[in-house]
Amino acid sequence: MMHPNRILKPLACMVAIFTVSGCITSTVQDVRKGGTGIADGEAIVIMGKSYHLGNETEAKYIQCIEDAMAQGREGLRVIPRREFVDSLFPWFEPRTAPAETKNLAKLMSRPGVAEKIAEQKIRYIVWLAGDTEKVAGGGSMSCAAGPGGGGCFGFAWWQKDADYDAAVWDLDGLESAGTVSTDVSGKSFMPALVIPLPFIARTQAKACHTLADQLHSFITDEETT
Amino acid sequence: MALLIAALISGCASSVKLVTPTIPTPLTDKIPISVGLRMPDNFDHYVHEENVFGREEWTIDLGNANAALFKQLFSHMFDHVTVLGAQDDPQLMDIDALIEPSIDAFEFSTPAQSKTDAFAVWIRYRLRVYDQAGTLVSNWPVSAYGKSQTTVMNKSDALHRAAVLAMRDAAALMIIKLDDVTGISSLGHSTPAASAPVAAPISDVVDGGDVPSGALEVRPDDAS
Repeated sequence: MMHPNRILKPLACMVAIFTVSGCITSTVQDVRKGGTGIADGEAIVIMGKSYHLGNETEAKYIQCIEDAMAQGREGLRVIPRREFVDSLFPWFEPRTAPAETKNLAKLMSRPGVAEKIAEQKIRYIVWLAGDTEKVAGGGSMSCAAGPGGGGCFGFAWWQKDADYDAAVWDLDGLESAGTVSTDVSGKSFMPALVIPLPFIARTQAKACHTLADQLHSFITDEETT
Repeated sequence: MALLIAALISGCASSVKLVTPTIPTPLTDKIPISVGLRMPDNFDHYVHEENVFGREEWTIDLGNANAALFKQLFSHMFDHVTVLGAQDDPQLMDIDALIEPSIDAFEFSTPAQSKTDAFAVWIRYRLRVYDQAGTLVSNWPVSAYGKSQTTVMNKSDALHRAAVLAMRDAAALMIIKLDDVTGISSLGHSTPAASAPVAAPISDVVDGGDVPSGALEVRPDDAS
């Protein structure tokens, strides 16, 4: 009878190999323009900058930031962006959303807008811009299959860069509180000797958690300039 | 075998059926006039078919989404809206202006065409506005745009969402610009709030006394 270790050891090795990720480097920084802080019951909204302005921020990235900001014991109250946009129709549609804080005062003077924002206790709007792009790649891999089986041989690699900015608008003072930015670069590899072994760098996920952590601190830390 | 052949043939054909979009109640003041809305037949069953690169067949069935959009939108925008049938004479009706929307163009791009991961939809509506005497006072092309990223599982969903966003974009544009562009509020000579009958559900007014046969009054709750 085969000893269990003879099966388990290779299996454990395979699992370890598959869970190893590619290489990731990341930077995050913030620029503070105004004081922040958030009271109990106050909420934030995470929005993607308009595609009318050429922005390409992925919907799943915005969702990831929304989820990350709301999670945990110190999670913030996050109003889902579609609910927010519907409640303020037509003033936050891609065509009509304010592009700069200087437009906020005029917007708040429109019928019902200030009341809707106060009703939902929204303190900050966070505008996300940026995207994840494949910036380089190389190598070659070929796969073949026949009656006796199949396999792949070769080596492939690719690099993705995720650059995102979050502009924080304070609706209390109708001014910009500042910007949080992250820049993540991830290199993935896939060597193949019969079986391809992917070492995937989860670049966008890293950019999400890095930005969300910094954004959380930026908003909750009661700092003044 | 027949099933396999059918599956292979339909492999490059995609179809999207639009669910009637809901336009939220806008945070704007209503224009205090009474308008008639006359829509073309194709607003109740609009189908766009396109062959992309000679390989991919797309069918987008908007159904009655256009009709529903304009009924909802105008019921939010004006004090009173009456939907006119093709045979109704607007001059016999208690309205300040007649609006005739039409659709000039519907276009879309796939991710393969745009080399992005998004579908985009462009819709160009046209609004013709007539005064009480039947004179054309404005002819306004309304260009709207919607864009939505594809998901791994279902690209039809992305096209559907892009179409809904384009319709919302058109609605937002009309809410904000309609009066500036067409001057429709200046066509209000009567005092509709005082003179018009209380709006009734659509089903109740088909044979109503004040509204000619075929014309329907629309309230926000009825519009969708």
